[in-house]
Amino acid sequence: MSVSRDDFSIAFRSALLQRGGAQKFSVLSLIFLALLIFFLDVYGVKFTKPVRGFINDVVYRITYLASTPTRIFPQVGDNISSFLNVKKENERLKAEIEKYKSLELNVEFLTDENKNLQNILETEYFNKNLSNILLAKVLVDKNSPFLKSVIINKGTRAGVLKGMPVTKDNYLVGRVVETNYLSSRVLLLNDLNSRIPVTLDQGAQAILSGSGSKNPILEYLPEDYEIISDINVFASGKDGIFAPGTPIGKTNNEGLIELFVDPNQLSFVTVNLNIQNKGKL
Amino acid sequence: MARISILNKFYNAGPLILLYYLCISEVDTNLEKIFEIFTLNFQIILIYFWILKRPEIMANGHIFLAGLINDVVMGFPLGISSLSYLIMIFVGTYVRAKSVNTTIASDWFTFFIAMIFSNLLFFSLLNNFSELSFTLSKIGYNMFFTLFTFPIFWLLFNIYQMTFVGNRDA
Repeated sequence: MSVSRDDFSIAFRSALLQRGGAQKFSVLSLIFLALLIFFLDVYGVKFTKPVRGFINDVVYRITYLASTPTRIFPQVGDNISSFLNVKKENERLKAEIEKYKSLELNVEFLTDENKNLQNILETEYFNKNLSNILLAKVLVDKNSPFLKSVIINKGTRAGVLKGMPVTKDNYLVGRVVETNYLSSRVLLLNDLNSRIPVTLDQGAQAILSGSGSKNPILEYLPEDYEIISDINVFASGKDGIFAPGTPIGKTNNEGLIELFVDPNQLSFVTVNLNIQNKGKL
Repeated sequence: MARISILNKFYNAGPLILLYYLCISEVDTNLEKIFEIFTLNFQIILIYFWILKRPEIMANGHIFLAGLINDVVMGFPLGISSLSYLIMIFVGTYVRAKSVNTTIASDWFTFFIAMIFSNLLFFSLLNNFSELSFTLSKIGYNMFFTLFTFPIFWLLFNIYQMTFVGNRDA
């Protein structure tokens, strides 16, 4: 009995303290070091934030470089197929240009009309905000089962602050949750931690909550509200962060939200720099 | 002769290079795009297998560093993945010290225990010390698929070991 207990303690101690050969550090010392780093990071001692920011910037750049092969190979395939279809594509684009030329006049008229109406409604800020938009490239889009986020190549140097809304083609994508000097992390709308106030087509108010899967859900809807498919969902702007009326997605048959922008297919996004700087909407 | 030695060094470094690459690149083993609930923690399988079979090619310091890199890329608090990996090393080293002959079944069972300890620490720290929220179902799926794909990777790594690295078990 005592021999068996001795065996246990010897093996236990050896597993924790063993060094030598390739093992320059014991497991125990590394566990202490990891715990120290963890608590320094979590409790945000003054010097850890810039250090973490610097490490983040360096690692994100290396990640971007390391992921180059995984980006290039699918792109080469796409390029070859698009090269083969170039003539057909050209004809289609010519037809589209003609169509857009005829629509341009209508747009000009509608823009003027819209500006006038916004002046009447005192919602001029929306257009002003659009003038201060920052284009950012998605550096890292690593899929994690626990955190749906992307890293963009713009940070505090470009004026990005925590909380700023991020869009793609004017559709809401998420918000900035971590800023470094040269990069930032954007929390996507489908992340479990994402909550934003929204308005539905018929004027009902709700909270759009990420579910961790591809489609977010609507919470805190009015009582007896029945979700049907194809209802458009917009940011309500009640939080003072997201511009009111920014389109997000539409409901599907299961009552979930189909986002207008696929969160797994982001390559370029825009950050609205004005929203938080103004402090109001 | 020198060429063989360089090749051997490269083959020996293979698992470590793979670990670093998985931690730092966009390549991930969360195949949610294929099957919505299919996520697995490949890094802990890799670490556990090589700690059991050839601990000298998986240095503790490197695993610790890979964990830190993983935290930065994934957006977790620094040190949490390192802790989880170190628990895998600890259990693996203990099992290696206590066992004479190992089979796929014994490795699979001890991997399950190591994974339970490792994930318990990981998620309790994440739950108590960070603002990240996660669902139990996600954790469950992740553990389930990690556990049930272990024998597949065990066989693949075993083939790699036999072919390129060599077996030095007692």
